[in-house]
Amino acid sequence: MPGFDFSNYNRNAALHARGVPLPKATSTGTTIVGCIFDGGVVIAADTRATSGPIVADKNCEKLHYIAPQIWCAGAGTAADTEFTTALISSQLELHSLSTGRKPRVVTCMTLLKQHLFRYQGHIGAYLVVAGVDPTGTHLFTVHAHGSTDKLPYVTMGSGSLAAMSVFETQWKTHLTRDDAVKLCSEAIQAGIFNDLGSGSNVDVAVITADKTTLMRGYVKPNERSAKLKSYAFEKGTTAVLNEKIIRKQDLGNYVSVHELSTTEEGDKMEVDT
Amino acid sequence: MAAMFSQNPLMNGPNYSFNDAPKVNAPEGARQHRFDPYTDNGGSTLAIAGADFTIMAGDTRHTSGYSINSRYYPKVFKIGGTTADQHDANLVLSVVGFAADGEALKERLDAICKMYRYRHGKPMSVKACAQRLSTILYQKRFFPYYVYAILGGLDEEGKGAVYSYDPVGSYEREQCRAGGAAASLIMPFLDNQVNFKNQYVPGSGEGHALQERERKPLSRNEVEVLVKDAFDGAVERHIEVGDGLQMMVITKDGIEEILLPLKKD
Amino acid sequence: MEFGNSGSLSEDGIHLDMDRLKKGEVNLGTSIMAVTFKDGVILGADSRTTTGAYIANRVTDKLTQVHDTIWCCRSGSAADTQAVADIVQYQLGLFHMMNGKLPTTQTAAAIFQEVCYANKDRLSAGLIIAGWDERHGGQVYSIPLGGSLHKQSYAIGGSGSTYIYGYCDANWKEGMEEADAVNFVKESLKEAIRWDGSSGGVIRMVVLTAKGADRHLYLPDTDYKVRHQ
Repeated sequence: MPGFDFSNYNRNAALHARGVPLPKATSTGTTIVGCIFDGGVVIAADTRATSGPIVADKNCEKLHYIAPQIWCAGAGTAADTEFTTALISSQLELHSLSTGRKPRVVTCMTLLKQHLFRYQGHIGAYLVVAGVDPTGTHLFTVHAHGSTDKLPYVTMGSGSLAAMSVFETQWKTHLTRDDAVKLCSEAIQAGIFNDLGSGSNVDVAVITADKTTLMRGYVKPNERSAKLKSYAFEKGTTAVLNEKIIRKQDLGNYVSVHELSTTEEGDKMEVDT
Repeated sequence: MAAMFSQNPLMNGPNYSFNDAPKVNAPEGARQHRFDPYTDNGGSTLAIAGADFTIMAGDTRHTSGYSINSRYYPKVFKIGGTTADQHDANLVLSVVGFAADGEALKERLDAICKMYRYRHGKPMSVKACAQRLSTILYQKRFFPYYVYAILGGLDEEGKGAVYSYDPVGSYEREQCRAGGAAASLIMPFLDNQVNFKNQYVPGSGEGHALQERERKPLSRNEVEVLVKDAFDGAVERHIEVGDGLQMMVITKDGIEEILLPLKKD
Repeated sequence: MEFGNSGSLSEDGIHLDMDRLKKGEVNLGTSIMAVTFKDGVILGADSRTTTGAYIANRVTDKLTQVHDTIWCCRSGSAADTQAVADIVQYQLGLFHMMNGKLPTTQTAAAIFQEVCYANKDRLSAGLIIAGWDERHGGQVYSIPLGGSLHKQSYAIGGSGSTYIYGYCDANWKEGMEEADAVNFVKESLKEAIRWDGSSGGVIRMVVLTAKGADRHLYLPDTDYKVRHQ
């Protein structure tokens, strides 16, 4: 059967009814915004992911690729925004290949709303969809229950009220590209500083007829301050209770080993020196 | 709670805090309507006793749900001075949890210390005040002050003293204590850096025979550095902690207050 | 999204919850209406969309085209009404292609009813269908929550409609001129917006006649006096 696996549903519902708490999903208690300008559209997002009151990721990506000229900002349950956008991105690519046409933003929006409506809000994806296609520039919001709105400027997520206050006071018609980027960045920062669910950096994507520019970490107003002292421990500080040495050539006896190229690397983890 | 949420569950309904949202486990869908007088206003506190000083600290953010109510709302107070400006106070109380209860508790303890000073002609000792605070908390055993209190001062020998409490008055004297939202983040750091837990002297033995690193009291400067680093760390990973760091340093010469900035996101 | 905490769990482990629909939904707590007049019909609506106390969209278009001169006014859940309107729009498009003639307003209303009635336990949608066709001229149909279908000379709906039953009853006249009908709709909606907290924003109208569809827009900045579109 395609789609989701519901085989544990009855067991989980019964456990839940007997007081077993549900696992906590990482939610992107988020600020995301979008704004149309003359010649294209800008979307922006903060980079904080939370699990309850704890910051789960300080620099996560909330701007998702759908098609070269269609991007999506996601709020709500992190896994749902990721998988939903990936699924629709794939469907749109296949559709584009079979029709031989460039994908359209309305098509993307319709696929998303029909998918989300089918799951009656259980897929907690709140999205801002933006893009430029042969029919023009478009900006939509899609709520988890499957409703959509079409507006010249939009906000979503827990910081949407803070961000909307910026738009409602500063937005004007016929913005330039730079003005739109600045406005979106300020709206996100309003979310970062006034909404506890949002924080860290501002990511911005600008989509025009000829190209898409993704500016990861467009503003970084929350760099970690330097520690006042070093917390490096002298070698031997930790007690060693027993020791077993497995040589590198014998590693294959315990786990399967795949050599990776060292050229591609993710974000560096923060470590003490 | 009628779960009316849009983008986030706590946006539209009343702003309950995270671990305080009322459980809706009523049988057969019956909805309970009852008076809920408590709110968790977030934030964190920290106290460390030194050889001849005590440092009490707390962040200054006041929250409910995903909102910031104030970026400067102190949690650390001077107690038992003769005047309103508390210039001659000798004790410091920090409270975290439900801010309104914290304020009420502070006012009450302060009034009691002032009365003691008026009647006896000398300030209350930290030991006496600690016992009295426990009594105040236990008096409200069945309608508690929803606060985690820490009392700091100098004992009869002039050594740093820190007393920590649970909301209903159980207390003990300790070397250091973290309280509030980020207590579980800060306390392990303190155990390691103040009491040198899990630190052994390199090369002093094998396995279990290894010698533990000897405890020695930290200097005031070392403690101030630890406090700032502890809060910088907490701010990185806890959303209810931030904005400002308030520190009170109690020495034989009086109480010094230090205010430092923290991240505001 | 989280599991709901409401509802009950029966012995077979099936979770029942009748409040499920309302949870976190984007709602069109609305004022909508449609009236017939001498040459056709007029649909009218406010433009407010809310999630709880927050206005998610202040310039919503609740008047949705499902065919050339068949439109509907949507109230209730935004997701449900959009989904229903999309289905009917598809069915009417198919009807037009298969039969080579325009669907009547009655046909559209019947398809709307089919969808609303068959899924009554899963939908919160209150719809008013209005259209103009060659044979019957202007017609108005109302489909309230249960999925019943009512042909009316005019219909009002949404949370704001409760405030204007008396006004509409007192001022309604059969076979009005276009200008008078526009004025009737505008004044009724002004009153609904004034008293209903979940209605507001601009007033949108669509006039459906032999000449096709004509859109009107009135802004609160000018006290809804000036037509902007």
